[in-house]
Amino acid sequence: MTILSAKNKEKLGKAVFATAAVVCVIAVAAIFAFLIIKSIPAFAKIGVFEFVFGDNWSPDRLDTYDSPLSGTYGILTMIVGTLSATVGALMIGGILGYFTAVFLVFYCPKKLGRILSAVINLLAGIPSVVYGFFGIVFLLPLLSNIAPNNGSGLLATSIILGIMILPTVVSLSKTSLEAVPRAYYEGSVALGATHSETVFRIMSPAARSGITASLILGIGRALGETMAVVMVAGNAPTYPDGIFSSFRVLTANIVMEMGYAGEVQEGALVATGVILLFFVLLVNVLFRLISKKAVEKSVKKQKSHRRGRISALTKSIKNNISAFTYKIKAVSICKGMALFSGILAAVVLVLVIGFIFSKGMPYLIKNPSIIYGKYEFASENITILPSIITTLYAVAISLIIAVPIGIMTAIFLNEYAGRDNILVRIIRSAIDILAGVPSIVYGLFGMIAFVPLLGGSGSILAGALTVSIMLLPTIVRSTEESLKSVADAMREGSLALGAGKLRTIFKIVLPSALPGILSAVILSMGRVISESAPFLYTMGSVITSIPTGIMDSGATLAVALYQLSGEGWYINEAYATAVVLIVLVLVLNFSAEVLAGKLSKKLKGETNGK
Amino acid sequence: MKKIWSLALAILMVFAFASCGGVEKNISVVVREQGSGTREAFDNVVTDGTHFLEERDADGKKVYNTTKTAIQQTKTGTVLSSVASDKNAIGYISLGSVSDTINVIKVNGVVASEETVLSGDYKIQRPFVLMTKKGQTLTARAADFMNYLKSEASAEHSEAAGCIFLSDPNRRANDGAEAIEVTTFTKQATLPEGDKIVIRGSTSMEKFINSAAKGYADIYGVAAEDIFDIQLEGSSIGRKAVEDDTKGNVIGLSSASVNQDDIDSFNVCLDAVVVIVNKENTSVTDLTLTQLYDIFSGKIKKFSEVK
Repeated sequence: MTILSAKNKEKLGKAVFATAAVVCVIAVAAIFAFLIIKSIPAFAKIGVFEFVFGDNWSPDRLDTYDSPLSGTYGILTMIVGTLSATVGALMIGGILGYFTAVFLVFYCPKKLGRILSAVINLLAGIPSVVYGFFGIVFLLPLLSNIAPNNGSGLLATSIILGIMILPTVVSLSKTSLEAVPRAYYEGSVALGATHSETVFRIMSPAARSGITASLILGIGRALGETMAVVMVAGNAPTYPDGIFSSFRVLTANIVMEMGYAGEVQEGALVATGVILLFFVLLVNVLFRLISKKAVEKSVKKQKSHRRGRISALTKSIKNNISAFTYKIKAVSICKGMALFSGILAAVVLVLVIGFIFSKGMPYLIKNPSIIYGKYEFASENITILPSIITTLYAVAISLIIAVPIGIMTAIFLNEYAGRDNILVRIIRSAIDILAGVPSIVYGLFGMIAFVPLLGGSGSILAGALTVSIMLLPTIVRSTEESLKSVADAMREGSLALGAGKLRTIFKIVLPSALPGILSAVILSMGRVISESAPFLYTMGSVITSIPTGIMDSGATLAVALYQLSGEGWYINEAYATAVVLIVLVLVLNFSAEVLAGKLSKKLKGETNGK
Repeated sequence: MKKIWSLALAILMVFAFASCGGVEKNISVVVREQGSGTREAFDNVVTDGTHFLEERDADGKKVYNTTKTAIQQTKTGTVLSSVASDKNAIGYISLGSVSDTINVIKVNGVVASEETVLSGDYKIQRPFVLMTKKGQTLTARAADFMNYLKSEASAEHSEAAGCIFLSDPNRRANDGAEAIEVTTFTKQATLPEGDKIVIRGSTSMEKFINSAAKGYADIYGVAAEDIFDIQLEGSSIGRKAVEDDTKGNVIGLSSASVNQDDIDSFNVCLDAVVVIVNKENTSVTDLTLTQLYDIFSGKIKKFSEVK
């Protein structure tokens, strides 16, 4: 091979990686473009001001763009509802999450800590339909003992959402707490502060921006959650008035009414999605500002390394002495909170899983044929085999699309891109935005972009395309992390030995990062399996015969669970489906965990060896 | 910061506990979402004599008079579980979905049954409607299936679905339209040609259409899933699908009456919407339409106020 062709090969490689990265940008642009274009007629007909600041939502499905409106379309009550639910979730999941992270990092024995972290990560994998189902059959009856109604409303929603954002808050806060230099701890203790004082007065403040960032990500999650909220919020289109009053959030509005919507109503629902996107952007900007501050701060800290730290420590210890008794009390309360939160998180998981299992297992044991039984048209003998196969199709197709694009994007970002390149910045923002887009908005996008493109009715392909975009940020981020963790010395060694950049990437970097990439892939599988909102209006939602091809419609397991619990005829089958779903997701998450563990072990071994 | 948080938490607790106590709780009104056929049927019948739960004001604007504190559920199943788990709940579901987890109450002293629905004594009812596009020539297969649906074979499928078969030709058609007779279905020599028959529309009609599709397929000895593509996501989706039919193979299902110029329709059976309360609630067994209106519009807040 001549030198030129090798050079061209390198260039081509870079171009391919860059193209993959640009796909993420295109996806974001397409989502915004499609939603905005589709909602413009509705905004024009209803009026932007009336839509956003009107507090009467009385749609009429017969409304068309050609005739005067008979319905009224105002979503202010739902904007307020979404914000209240988010604040509520933050008060429960945020506080609990922060203290759980503190507990895991500073109080928990190492072995127990590992188990607890794994348990909390599993919470992230439980499908939101299952949370909703749990909410209806467990939480609401419990709350109805103290509630003036059946328990649904702001409190129930906040609790469910709080549990759902817990893993996000815990894992990020944990990372930033662990990143605080050990010297801070030692210095503080050396100056006479106790362990707990050091934890809450020195370590926590030092990790403040990372913790705040984790809360903001939690906000993003809470804003966009759909299926669980629909089941416990009560959904009346009115302002939340007290903690036990029926109210509706933006995402619920979309998923509840899309099935019936006429022309203008559909436009108004897409417009609801646009407003949601606006909030997602807002959260994104906030996140960016705060993480930027964090970076600046850490740079500053490193500069004023020694002097600054010691003076800060002395000051803080002095403060401690001046208000000694009060501090001890506060610190011990915090310590108690940390212990309490750690245990509570574990209890919640056991409760959710235990409850579903206790209800679903007996049925599953009695009727195991629900899993493998042959589908019979219109039979009372429900089988979820078609749903299992539909799910497999959806997983396979979305991974085939998302994994290569995601990995190539990560390679581009980590191996090729300069730090402050404007293209790189755009790509990174695009990925951040994609990560924040609520799953129901992906569903809307799929419904107005892929479904018409693929012949007008829902198909496995349309659903899989929709969800593959949703997977991109997860795959890119985790792949990039594992690429980052490959030591630069290995790259330099390979290049020094005369290998080209492409060769280095494929022969040296990727194999070393493989366990990390694999665990990203497995997590993505779990995501496809547990999502339901993006599929409802893109793939069809009826449990039918085993799909014969990717243009058939079908219901994935999570959608099947939603449907089975729906009409009230098959509640036991629904529990059994939930069990299957949870088992699948737990197995996947567990294998991801194991793989990730292998990665860190392997890397340690390598650094020791070289 | 932490102090503020714990303070907030404390307030939350106080709130929560203040609201418990020995007083009788308010009625929890559980309704379906706007746009649901079940809700449409309920809202258009329940009245206090001057207002309906769903109506139009003087300017022709839609007005929903259902209480703002009502709990809205998107599925029959979630309505059922909400009512089953709350002693003070009241809701409504399709007659075919009634289970033993809840109590069904009388309306105006009438129990929902085949007789009372057919005679009109039971007020809260709606037709299940089959639709095709007006002026569109159906494929031989779709036309054959429509013949089957119009025949007396539908009686059996109505029973399977828990709805009440309509045999009166006048009531099978819309008011003022030409009567639609119950026919006898004659099997063709072989299954007529045509694409898969596409069926879209009301989720409430799932049991009916599944039963009918299976019955039809059995006649020709084929598997129903090979000749039908059934996806049910709501009555209005069914209407839309029929309007957009270009191949003549779309049949729509609506669980609310259809009176549209561009759609041919016939009412195959009648469904009653029944009012349900919690199993432990034995004091409420019969409500008038006016009482229902007062409860669902929030005028009556406690069951003890019902007179």
